[in-house]
Amino acid sequence: MITHQLALLKRELWEHRSIYVTPIAISSIVTLGVLAMLVFASGYAAQLDIAIFGAQNIAGDAERKAALTGFFIGTSWVFVIALAILTVFYCLDSLYAERKDKSILFWRSLPVTDAETVISKLLTALLVIPAATMIGIIATHLVNLVITSIWVSMKGADASVLIWGSVSLIDNWLAAFIVVLASGIWMSPFIGWFLLVSAYAKRSPLLIAFMPLVLIGLLEGIILRTHVFAENVLGRGDSLPIFRTVDIESFFEEEQWRLSEGATNLLQHLDIVKFVTSPAMWAGLVVCGLLCTGAIYVRRYRDES
Amino acid sequence: MTSLVSAKGVTKQFGSFTAVDNVSFEIERGKILGLIGPNGAGKTTLLKAVLGLTDCEGELSVMGLDPFRQRKDLMRNICFIADVAVLPRWIRVTQLLDYVEAIHPNFSRKRAEELLLQTKIMSTSKVKELSKGMVTQLHLSIIMSIDAKLLVLDEPTLGLDIIFRKEFYANLLNDYFDEERTILVTTHQVEEIENLLTDIMFINDGKILLDSTMESLGDSYVEISTSGEAADKARGLGPIAENQMFGKSVMLFEGVSREHLEGYGDLRTPSVADLFVAKVKGARK
Repeated sequence: MITHQLALLKRELWEHRSIYVTPIAISSIVTLGVLAMLVFASGYAAQLDIAIFGAQNIAGDAERKAALTGFFIGTSWVFVIALAILTVFYCLDSLYAERKDKSILFWRSLPVTDAETVISKLLTALLVIPAATMIGIIATHLVNLVITSIWVSMKGADASVLIWGSVSLIDNWLAAFIVVLASGIWMSPFIGWFLLVSAYAKRSPLLIAFMPLVLIGLLEGIILRTHVFAENVLGRGDSLPIFRTVDIESFFEEEQWRLSEGATNLLQHLDIVKFVTSPAMWAGLVVCGLLCTGAIYVRRYRDES
Repeated sequence: MTSLVSAKGVTKQFGSFTAVDNVSFEIERGKILGLIGPNGAGKTTLLKAVLGLTDCEGELSVMGLDPFRQRKDLMRNICFIADVAVLPRWIRVTQLLDYVEAIHPNFSRKRAEELLLQTKIMSTSKVKELSKGMVTQLHLSIIMSIDAKLLVLDEPTLGLDIIFRKEFYANLLNDYFDEERTILVTTHQVEEIENLLTDIMFINDGKILLDSTMESLGDSYVEISTSGEAADKARGLGPIAENQMFGKSVMLFEGVSREHLEGYGDLRTPSVADLFVAKVKGARK
């Protein structure tokens, strides 16, 4: 069972190379951006000396943390958005491509159940893609912090103070990983829906997946003049119940970090108990389970000829 | 239990269209059965039912299993090539071997690699870089490295050139087939496989027209080429088909003994292709 699953997951990585190519691409772009910025900044030697002097001697720990955390959140955010887009396209393709290229008959000629196959797609969306994203995030941070350290050292500053001393990278990575994993679980009903559409659609799964979502939202608004579907289903992405109540606007103000000790430790902004005990999260998982069961049955009973 | 496959009243409908119509047959262990039928006769549907790829009515048992409900268990002991195009195009040869090795308990990677060495296929190639013939060779190398009790081949040589087709069947007989194994094969190119079959089954419009061993085919069917008065006399015995060829009448008889026809012309056992045409035409009348 487990060896089967591992083989199936490996198979997904071979077929969907975008799972690891996308993080590598984003990482490269971010790194190029940082390099360009450093080269640009190097042109302003006089101001730079003052800035570095200031950062090292005048600015408090809080400012340094703020700057690093900003970099941390900003880059992670790019990865999370890419993760979301990647997951949508992966899910829609996962059970559709094998029918389009007719390889489904080959896959089904081997002793693997349809349930095992669909579960491997679900695990890829919930675990493998988030893990690949996380590796991308960590690699990007390390590469860029090392580059920046070398750069500030060349300018005569102490990188261990400026870059490495103030923020717990491990805690922040852990926080990022929790958010990435929780986002997948929270959005799992959509993953289930995309898998079902992927197993079912004869053509253009993207259209078939999004049309009903948009239409139901519109019709409900027009006919019933309510927005239950729009708020609870379409708006689900905005309400991931894992953050402690933080006012997002003030979160990005430096003042916030200066006042509350340790606020730049992102782990402290997460409330895992709130997430695990969220009825909406569990309801979502149940819906995902039902939709995946549907996908298994469609794959099993569908006869292409 | 000598029957590997046993079908009783198997029926498969697509809406109002009956693809397989109340079909019953048995396939015994160690046979090579050819399933012959025109396009749309229900061959592929019947094979899919045997392989557990489609649900059907009636009783169908393959190695004592219900193919549709126990497909995973069944696939440990069955291999099939459904069409030359089914290998995924994006996969590399090594990845394919890795995958099958991890999934299939009866797969011998060593044997697959030995078989591939005899071909021009590189282990680093992707399927999409291979020619159609090479893809089939690759698929066959994998299939022949799986110790399976039943091998199902649905038009395995479609679109391949004659040299490759000959090699394909030679490999199948020499390297794969033994008394423990059973092969079920469908093809349009009947003449290429008739020498290797032990049994034959004709199917048309979802019904079985003929289910016989190749040996007994000569007892039941006789072809005679004759002319003139002898032809008229032979015609009186009720041939199931008659054709004119080079000024001679070629007639095909079913259930008429050779002694009866002796003296009317040259007797021979009809080719599977001729018999098939006669049977299908006869069924349409």
